[in-house]
Amino acid sequence: MNNVQIVAAREFKQIAGMRSFWLTLLIIPLSLVIGGLTPSLINNDEPDRVMIIDRTGGAEAQALQQRFDADQNRELLGDLSRYVQRHHLEGADPKALWAQHDRWYSDADIAQFEAAGGLESAQSKIDRVKAKDTPAFEASPPDYEMVPVPASLAKVPDAGLDDALQDVLKPKGKDAKPVNYVVLVPASFGSSPVVRLWSNRQPSPDLVQKLQDVLTRDLRTRFLASQGLSAAAAQSATSIAPALAISTPPPGGGAREAMLIRSILPLAAAYLLMISLMLSGSWMLQGTVEERSNKLLETVLACVSPEELMYGKLLGTAGVGLFMIAVWLGCGLFAAYATHGAIADMIRPALDPLTSPGTVIAMIYFFVVGYVSIAILFLAIGAMVDSMRDAQGYLMPVLLLILLPISILMQAVIAGNSGGVLMEVLTWVPIWTPFAVLARLGLGIPTWEVIGSGITLAAFAAAEVVLLGRLFRASLLASGQRPNLREVVARMRAVQS
Amino acid sequence: MSVLTLERVTKRFDQTIAVDDLSFAVEPGTVFGFLGGNGAGKTTSLRMVLDIIRPTSGNIQVLGRAPGRANAPEIGFLPEERGLYRQMTALDTIAYFGRLKGMTPADAKREGASLLDRFGLAANSKQTVDKLSKGMAQKVQLATALVNRPKLLILDEPFSGLDPVNQGLLEEEIRNMSSAGATAVFSTHVMQHAERLCDRLLLLGKGRKKFEGTLDEARAELPARLTVVSRTDPSKISGVESARDRGEAEAGWRRWDVRLDPGVAPGDVLERCVSQQFPLRRFEQVHASLHDVFVHIVGQPETVQ
Repeated sequence: MNNVQIVAAREFKQIAGMRSFWLTLLIIPLSLVIGGLTPSLINNDEPDRVMIIDRTGGAEAQALQQRFDADQNRELLGDLSRYVQRHHLEGADPKALWAQHDRWYSDADIAQFEAAGGLESAQSKIDRVKAKDTPAFEASPPDYEMVPVPASLAKVPDAGLDDALQDVLKPKGKDAKPVNYVVLVPASFGSSPVVRLWSNRQPSPDLVQKLQDVLTRDLRTRFLASQGLSAAAAQSATSIAPALAISTPPPGGGAREAMLIRSILPLAAAYLLMISLMLSGSWMLQGTVEERSNKLLETVLACVSPEELMYGKLLGTAGVGLFMIAVWLGCGLFAAYATHGAIADMIRPALDPLTSPGTVIAMIYFFVVGYVSIAILFLAIGAMVDSMRDAQGYLMPVLLLILLPISILMQAVIAGNSGGVLMEVLTWVPIWTPFAVLARLGLGIPTWEVIGSGITLAAFAAAEVVLLGRLFRASLLASGQRPNLREVVARMRAVQS
Repeated sequence: MSVLTLERVTKRFDQTIAVDDLSFAVEPGTVFGFLGGNGAGKTTSLRMVLDIIRPTSGNIQVLGRAPGRANAPEIGFLPEERGLYRQMTALDTIAYFGRLKGMTPADAKREGASLLDRFGLAANSKQTVDKLSKGMAQKVQLATALVNRPKLLILDEPFSGLDPVNQGLLEEEIRNMSSAGATAVFSTHVMQHAERLCDRLLLLGKGRKKFEGTLDEARAELPARLTVVSRTDPSKISGVESARDRGEAEAGWRRWDVRLDPGVAPGDVLERCVSQQFPLRRFEQVHASLHDVFVHIVGQPETVQ
């Protein structure tokens, strides 16, 4: 092991020995888990309770009930299809609707599914071919539950319902379950289009849409019948709808969603670069400041050259940064495994860029060279100051300079903007190049720009190693006030102290 | 072959000359004292020997080679400004510096443990430095310099800041190393330590060499002084420069501080007293202290103790 490696190992060990390192390392996966759990904690899995008071004889209530059931079955069929696709269970019944994926299930499909025995029949077929370790299918809970109208309420005249429904919508008893929606279809429905809806909260657009659809269709049927059309023809006329054939372009073909999915990995690399750099860079800065303030640099420099010390520190910090990323990726893989591939299915399209060796090489190159070119700035700052307070004076402007344009860039990429002057500027200014190129890789960046900016970045990093290396060496044993700009430039020009 | 040789070495910082045309050589097995006040150029000279900074002109040879990190395995260095990694354990700290000096991990750990044991810190080897007392940390620092059993030990103001116990420990280590054949070069402005330890001395003033030689040779630079008890004033005796009456010693006899002319030996003056039948009750040579020698040769810098 040479001195560079020994210094790097010490740096790594020192940072890895800090409590703040482990806390930070775990905070990101933890926050993702909490972020993932929050919606399910906030979401109410209980179905909304709906009561329909149908004064027309019950036909409208029945139509609504059928619509709720059909939508519920459509969702169930979709879930079942995804489950079968994920676990490759199409062999259970290749002709079954749930073995055909990526399609919209029509009302006829739903009826066919029910006629074939519904979920129970499908599950028994699937169980015959399913491996033992394949998890069982879990149907999502229904969105709505129909509540029968109590006899006492059925007798209440329409005008008295406002008062009578108070106890139904907001019952006083602790264990009493409220009804969330009450729909009144008055006896005059047909001649009058008025239908009333009571709700104990802001009505869900989904429910309102369902009511609208079913009752509109009925009104139109009645209207067509009143115009002399037969009941069957009127019924058919209201169900006429266009069959939409939906085609989406292949990934990268210009659709914003497709580009966004392709951008997930490069964007994640840019974010990881930023986070790990900021964290490990500030720890390295702390370490360098400690060496200066604890006056142990002279002892170290008697054994290693300033260059060895600098490279060792950079290597150690890069090791810390890469270790953090490896841990985060490991957490991601664990999560993908623990969720039986649900996350893996979700991110599979995002891994598409990895099929291109050029993209992979570009990602690794810009990540590593970007890391070194920014980390060395932290190192130079650490060498010039005696305390963290002094370091803040240099650090804040540098951080703002790096981070502000990057946050704007990220927003632009997420918004789907792949061009623009800002994007071009950021691509060609070396301190922003790694972030800009990584973020743009998914959107499609011309090859000549990747190569050109890569060469510029390499030249910048080489110049940094020379100039900041001199500044580092000249600053190590210098004492006194923080150097001003003139002094900093003079140190960069000094070939040997 | 000399362990350390400097030939006409000069170091400038902008307009300031920190070391000016300095030449000297240190022979193997000697304890070599580098004496001077603050700003005399001691630390700069030692940093050049260690290749932490480079001379503006002149030539330096360390263990027969040019200064550089290649010499680190054979050098032990204790700087004036000392510090340790606060979050590292005592043993890891010593082993780390051992490794930087080319030792294997196992050797560095073994030697580190042995030094801690010798310094009475075996029980503290796993403690981080920030939990050690200042005196303990000083011992750990000394151990980092000794871990590689150096042929050349370079100590920059090694006694400054040390408590009396650790001062004694350091003196003992220097003597032990010297008797084992190693060479020690240390800078100091505390003359008592140099007087007790050094085989040879180099006196620096404003970057220039003012004197190099043994302690006796240094003392010979000062006119000899005597304490004499006589009936009459001894200043008339040939070779005496001056005599100061220090009062009555006993009835009829007075005590005199006598200063001899440069180059006059006290024995010659005693001979003249006898031949001239000059009555004496006491004739005692007073040895000059190194402090007196330093002040005589270099001047009176405020920091010399």
